[in-house]
Amino acid sequence: MNRRYLPMLLTAVALAGCGSDRPPPGVQGDPERGKIALTQYACHSCHIVPSVAGSKVYVGRPLDDLDKRRYIAGKVPNTQDNLVRFIRDPQAVDPGTAMPTLGVSERDARDISAYLLSR
Amino acid sequence: MLSNRARLIVKTMVLTLLGAGVSAAIVGLIVLRGGFYNISATESHYPLIYTVFEEGLQYSIQNHAQDIEVPALGAPEQLLRGATVYAANCVQCHGGPGTAPSKHGMSMQPVPGPLVDADVNWETRELYWITRHGIKMSGMPAWEYHLSDSDIWAVVAFVSAMPAMSPQDFRGMTAPGAGVQSVPAAVQESAKESARAAHQGDQS
Repeated sequence: MNRRYLPMLLTAVALAGCGSDRPPPGVQGDPERGKIALTQYACHSCHIVPSVAGSKVYVGRPLDDLDKRRYIAGKVPNTQDNLVRFIRDPQAVDPGTAMPTLGVSERDARDISAYLLSR
Repeated sequence: MLSNRARLIVKTMVLTLLGAGVSAAIVGLIVLRGGFYNISATESHYPLIYTVFEEGLQYSIQNHAQDIEVPALGAPEQLLRGATVYAANCVQCHGGPGTAPSKHGMSMQPVPGPLVDADVNWETRELYWITRHGIKMSGMPAWEYHLSDSDIWAVVAFVSAMPAMSPQDFRGMTAPGAGVQSVPAAVQESAKESARAAHQGDQS
């Protein structure tokens, strides 16, 4: 059944940016909600975020390839749980980082990470 | 005199343009009065519109700021004053190294940019112009009537030196009751350099 559904799944992933709200396997949360949530915590003021209108800004690194990264902030393995932890409290993962703690709730961080990992 | 044929061509052209203009106006009015455009701040701008507006903004500021003379910047007292002004009026929307903006700053549309890279995007005189006059429809207020000229230059000096600040430097300088010893030498040098660069730009 995996074989049969794989092309469909890949199509769904490819369409994620076009309105489909199915996150890739193993990723929890609501990517569509996460895309809006990340603009409400000003992520795109410092990071270039795919499919979110914003300036060409390089204060933080672009977030277009998070699904391919091996490490978050060069410190911890790139799992969704670690990403959620980093979004909520970057200083705890990477002491001295210029990225501030933005008061992101658990649910919002989960959805934001789902969006970033759905690319 | 125009021949009949030429007259027909001109007449057709004028009527076609007129017809197209009237239809466009009707469609525009329907979209406007129908309230179909989503004005909410959770709805992103269209990327193309954002880019066009942003380019227009850059050209406008370049043009309007071109005759501003930049004074010498970077005295520790001035940077400390700039830090106070920044903490009172700017950090709420723009944040700082390691310091988040307030909630209202984070959820604005368009989002206020960080200023740690301001020296990459703007000349020093342009930072002064933006601070003094504000930016229409962006949420950036004008400070001309609320801050003295020396305070505006102080905050410009502080912002232009921000790339040289660590999160600790920023917190130290903006802390209530901070003294001149909290202004690192590298930060002073960075502000001085932006003023010098502005003068070299004037001469060339």
